[in-house]
Amino acid sequence: MIETLRFWAAVALLGLGVFFTFVSTVGILRLPDIYSRAHTASQTDTLGAGFALAGVAVAFGWRNVTVYTVLLLFFVFVTNPTAAHAIARSAAETGVEPLLADEGDETDAETVADGGEKR
Amino acid sequence: MAANRVLVPLSDTVTVRQTVDYAVRSGLEDADELECHLVVALPYDEEMPEGRTQAEEAEELLSRARNWAEEDAGDAEVRIETAALGTDEYLFGPRDYAEIFASYAREREIDRIVLDPEYQPGVTARILQPLERELDRRGVSYDEAPVDRPARHGRLVTGGQRFDQLFATFWISFGFYLVLGDPFYWFDIVTGVAVGGIVSTTLAQVTFSFPLDRVRSPIRVGRFILYIPYLLWEIVRANIAVSAVILRPSMPIEPTLARVNARVRSGLPLTALANSITLTPGTLTVRADDQRLLVHTLIPSAREDLFDGGLEKAIRFVFYGREAAGAIASPRERDDADVVGGDEL
Repeated sequence: MIETLRFWAAVALLGLGVFFTFVSTVGILRLPDIYSRAHTASQTDTLGAGFALAGVAVAFGWRNVTVYTVLLLFFVFVTNPTAAHAIARSAAETGVEPLLADEGDETDAETVADGGEKR
Repeated sequence: MAANRVLVPLSDTVTVRQTVDYAVRSGLEDADELECHLVVALPYDEEMPEGRTQAEEAEELLSRARNWAEEDAGDAEVRIETAALGTDEYLFGPRDYAEIFASYAREREIDRIVLDPEYQPGVTARILQPLERELDRRGVSYDEAPVDRPARHGRLVTGGQRFDQLFATFWISFGFYLVLGDPFYWFDIVTGVAVGGIVSTTLAQVTFSFPLDRVRSPIRVGRFILYIPYLLWEIVRANIAVSAVILRPSMPIEPTLARVNARVRSGLPLTALANSITLTPGTLTVRADDQRLLVHTLIPSAREDLFDGGLEKAIRFVFYGREAAGAIASPRERDDADVVGGDEL
């Protein structure tokens, strides 16, 4: 009984992990520019990897290996924002203009003007 | 009679005053005219936030050094030039410094460089010896100023703090080793002690660049553990919100750039806050100029959460305690948050 429960819990967690990884992939394909893509790319690392590793931990049960999955998750959580920030910052430094929603005509015009200049 | 020309690279050390004095006096020994070039080499380019602070400090040091040199010159003919070098590039290591000094000296026909024995540009370790080697290779003649220096102690860190650093680093690395190995197997324990010893003696000062507090540091770790579930909850919530937006066929995103002035100290607390903001989908820290965070937000609800300052409150709780977290108003209320245009990048 417990074993079946654990099996299905692991399956459900892995399914959720796959789902969020899928969403993240869709986001990368659909979103317009590098900044907004960086948002969704971090979804793979946070919830995608998070649920998958939780599934692994449940599947293994209370063993030494389970601790490794927690450590793995910890390191993913430390490195992911660092990488995302590095990408966004280097994009900003090389002059990639973000696509912004309309915040009044003024900002919009400025964004366009600056973008044209830098290209 | 031809004037002597001398170049003095400055950095903020205890011996910089004596170095300037020596440069002026020795320059005047065999000539009655001296051209004294006082320069500061900046490791970062001026675009970066660290660079800006450094440029200001450099200006201050240069103006002080100019006064010293004038004082030392007395009635003699001394022309003083000051300059900040390397403002448009990133200096990395003694080779870059040697190159920049050598080319400065070449351009102005300077025949001698006077070095401060404690010379230490930027935040890196002292680079005097490798710098001298590099200058040798370029055929630049230099001279080390003879100075009396006070006995050097490990700066900022007293004996007790050093012990705390070693202690903390040892137990962290030992604990990590045993988590990976088997905590009940004698071989792992012995090798773990050895590894922990090596790691703590070599890396303790790098790991903790700030003084530890025997009471408050463990409490902070405890509060950080309390913070993790909250952060996870925020991440799940934001993930669901972003996923819903992405999967909707119309994809109603509303990207904006927002500026938030965070009320946390620079260093670890600010890093933790900026990383937490980036970790939650929907908000992404693009720039962190000291306390001013420039955040790209994807959807309005994420921006509202950011302006409500939940994460900032939590980080303040971790590092400063409950009162500090409760006392602070949200960034929106204290007027520290606003939406900015793309030209702010």
